[in-house]
Amino acid sequence: MDRNQLEEYKLLVDGQLPWPQTKNLMSSYKDRDRFFKILAIYQDKVQWQEKILLPIGENLFIVQKGKENIVKCTCGYEFGDYRQNWKLQAVMVVRKTREDLERIYPHSDVCDPSWMEIREFICPDCGTLLEVEACSPGYPITFDFCPDLEGFYKEWLKVPLGSE
Amino acid sequence: MTKTDTMVNLRKRLEESESLLAMTGCYDGITNLECREQDPLKFETIHMKLRASCVSAREIARRISASPGVREVGEMVAALYTPEGDAIAISNGIMVHVHTMSRFIKWMIKNDYQDDPGINPGDIFANNDAFIGTVQVPDVMDVVPIYHEGTLVGWAGAVCHELEAGGITPGGDVALAQERFGEGLFVCAEKIGLNDKIRRDYIIRCERNLRMPIYWILDEQAKVAACFNMRDRVLELIDEIGIDFYQKISKEFIEEGRRTQLARVRQLTIPGKYRANTFYGHVTKGKPGFQPLGDPDWLYSIPLQMDIQLDGKIVLDFEGAQPWGYHSMNCTPAGMDGGMFVTLTQHMNFEGLVNDGAWLATQLKLPEGTWTNPDSEFCATATSWALLLPAYGAFQRMLSRGFLARGFLEEVFVGQVNSPMIEMGGISQYGKPFGIAHFECAAAGSGALAIKDGLDTAYVGWNPESDMGNIEIWELDMPMVYLGRSILPNSGGAGKYRGGNAFMSTWVINKSPEVRIVTSEHSSRVFDNAGMCGGYPAPTCQMHRVVRNSNISQRADARKPLVHSTGLDQNELTMNLEGDHQIIEGPHITAPMKAGDIFTHSYNGGGGYGDPLERDPILVLDDIIQGQSSRVHGENIHGVRFKGSIEDTTLEIDLPGTMAARKQLKDERLQKAIPVSDWFENERGKVIEGSFAPEVVKMYRAAMNLSDDFSDEFRTFWQLSDSFAFSEPKQGEDKHG
Ligand SMILES: [Zn+2]
Repeated sequence: MDRNQLEEYKLLVDGQLPWPQTKNLMSSYKDRDRFFKILAIYQDKVQWQEKILLPIGENLFIVQKGKENIVKCTCGYEFGDYRQNWKLQAVMVVRKTREDLERIYPHSDVCDPSWMEIREFICPDCGTLLEVEACSPGYPITFDFCPDLEGFYKEWLKVPLGSE
Repeated sequence: MTKTDTMVNLRKRLEESESLLAMTGCYDGITNLECREQDPLKFETIHMKLRASCVSAREIARRISASPGVREVGEMVAALYTPEGDAIAISNGIMVHVHTMSRFIKWMIKNDYQDDPGINPGDIFANNDAFIGTVQVPDVMDVVPIYHEGTLVGWAGAVCHELEAGGITPGGDVALAQERFGEGLFVCAEKIGLNDKIRRDYIIRCERNLRMPIYWILDEQAKVAACFNMRDRVLELIDEIGIDFYQKISKEFIEEGRRTQLARVRQLTIPGKYRANTFYGHVTKGKPGFQPLGDPDWLYSIPLQMDIQLDGKIVLDFEGAQPWGYHSMNCTPAGMDGGMFVTLTQHMNFEGLVNDGAWLATQLKLPEGTWTNPDSEFCATATSWALLLPAYGAFQRMLSRGFLARGFLEEVFVGQVNSPMIEMGGISQYGKPFGIAHFECAAAGSGALAIKDGLDTAYVGWNPESDMGNIEIWELDMPMVYLGRSILPNSGGAGKYRGGNAFMSTWVINKSPEVRIVTSEHSSRVFDNAGMCGGYPAPTCQMHRVVRNSNISQRADARKPLVHSTGLDQNELTMNLEGDHQIIEGPHITAPMKAGDIFTHSYNGGGGYGDPLERDPILVLDDIIQGQSSRVHGENIHGVRFKGSIEDTTLEIDLPGTMAARKQLKDERLQKAIPVSDWFENERGKVIEGSFAPEVVKMYRAAMNLSDDFSDEFRTFWQLSDSFAFSEPKQGEDKHG
């Protein structure tokens, strides 16, 4: 990949790309191989060796570990098979009192805790807040995204899953 | 009756077109884009010409309109259609209506309008019935047929959002309507003009049924002028390229639009199953004007599933949605279409060559009987944006998950927000009756992006070119004077990148003995603008703070400072003004106000993106200095520690302190957090006992009664028996649903 573009994408991933360049990126035609370029940047940033197959969050990746494809945190924590909801393997803080809500919503009106709660899904290892749900008490945990990983690689990228 | 178009039976043609699509998978059976292959440059040029004619027609119309909604805020769209009613090219503006207008044209065709009342050169048709094809009563659309030498070659259409619809409460989004019969003036696919002229009796009907007929009537003139302008451009183009070529190429544009949409999805996203849910909470208990048809307070869930198929088709499914109810927040399939269409134009088809082809490449599943597809045409849809905005905000988050996974971080967008609007009427400052919807709401905060903060006071989902309008223009049209319009600190959801902030306005009622102010789409008690990837939802919309019989004019006479907002601690009004102070939760539906009363209204901000503890401390400091957020917010949520003070401009970041505080906050999180499995055991017990607020139980019961899929999923998740159900309400507790 062209060196300038690599630098540009690294800045993009870090949220440091200046606005004129970002705007340009938004408005111009999308590069067809963007996926692999960004994947390489992520792979370079993480400390672990497993091959990244798909980013699915700000700090979450589907990676190839042996014969399994699992969800992994930037810090290395493993959440298990990507076809299962990773949230079930996380730890959580539930804000369901006015006091707990007002702590993170100072000076604002907040939801009625009997109608809605905030669920914070946290990585058990690094303590990063990975996803927040705002839903009524008793609502099943949402499985945000289950990609058709095989279909994506085989049909759209035209490369076998997990190979270079 | 003159039968101008004797050759083609429109209804048969439409049916043929639909079956060709079903048979070949391609629009109107167009399997080869021959015009495009022959001369791609000419192909693009002609499409750009058609689009330019839509854009310029819209600009012409904006200059005819008397309504600040159209003139200032641009609540209008213009489009060109095939004879069968499929959009070929559209202008900018409220693009939500491109496909709703398409439904309107098709409805007339399917109902044999060709025979009666006839579709002839010079005819003008109008509609604002959402079950025929629009979103809500104030969205009045006009279409005119385009004839070339006796042959119908297409339609030109335009929509304006009206600021007054003549409903049970003043304004356009008639919040109090509980059935169709309170929503205002309906025009149901009506021929309102002949020989290029709007009928006088139609204008008289508008004059006598609206509180502020000048907006509606001049908007009609504006739309019709726009349609004629587009019609002239199309006929000029036909003279240039010939009728056969025009008819062929205009259909190829649509098939190309369909293919482009599928290709875009394959290029920008990942196939798979995406899910989201959002909520809407309505609080009207004890408010005047409600008929005892439905529950005054209710909580609705809006579950969504998006499947991106390998061919690039997006299937959006609302299974598990709530039943329709006796309130104005229901939506018709036309409105649901519109919400999806306008959202897609912003994410996939932003270069302007979008048309109905994009719609053909998607599928909406709207379960019958729900508020997304009511099975009673008596139900009201006047404020259906209360459903559309949170729903399509969630749609944007699902799409954005796909962009993120594909590496297009610059496209990730936490999405549009639900934000309340103000409708009003009574006696104007000129001593005359008036009614208006205040459209400064067309500039809420946006959700965050994956690489930067959301837009402050500059985005709404329904019109990508958002604008709040100038204060001075609004003051001309309503008996209220602005005391302030200010950023609402902390109103965006927190995150590594925060949601865009909203603003609040503060007014004094001026020179009027009676102003009725009703606010709509006002979700209370829930966060309906969620975050993504660790970002928090935006706070709920601020309650209304009101002062009746205030001493503001005495303060002004005494040259004392006025108040300009409710202030960070919501106490500016109580500290500085005497009078009857009121706090109103949810929609503002109370007795009329009068000169000297103070009214405040806040809009919503967008959801945040990413863990707030990862936010650059410099951005936190900047926000505090600029009044975008408070210091406590920066300390509590972002773990930033400061030195100095904002008052003497010495505020700076204590970096070692910040690093230590952030570590401590993460440690606290982990200490406080419990494994999801522990939470599950505890919560499951509550589900079995049904020990939730009555509105919550009612919501689950309603969803389970209506949807086997939702029931199965609910029972599976909580490991309940196949027969599990929430107990039925006691007598008198349940009204509907
Ligand atoms: Zn981690």
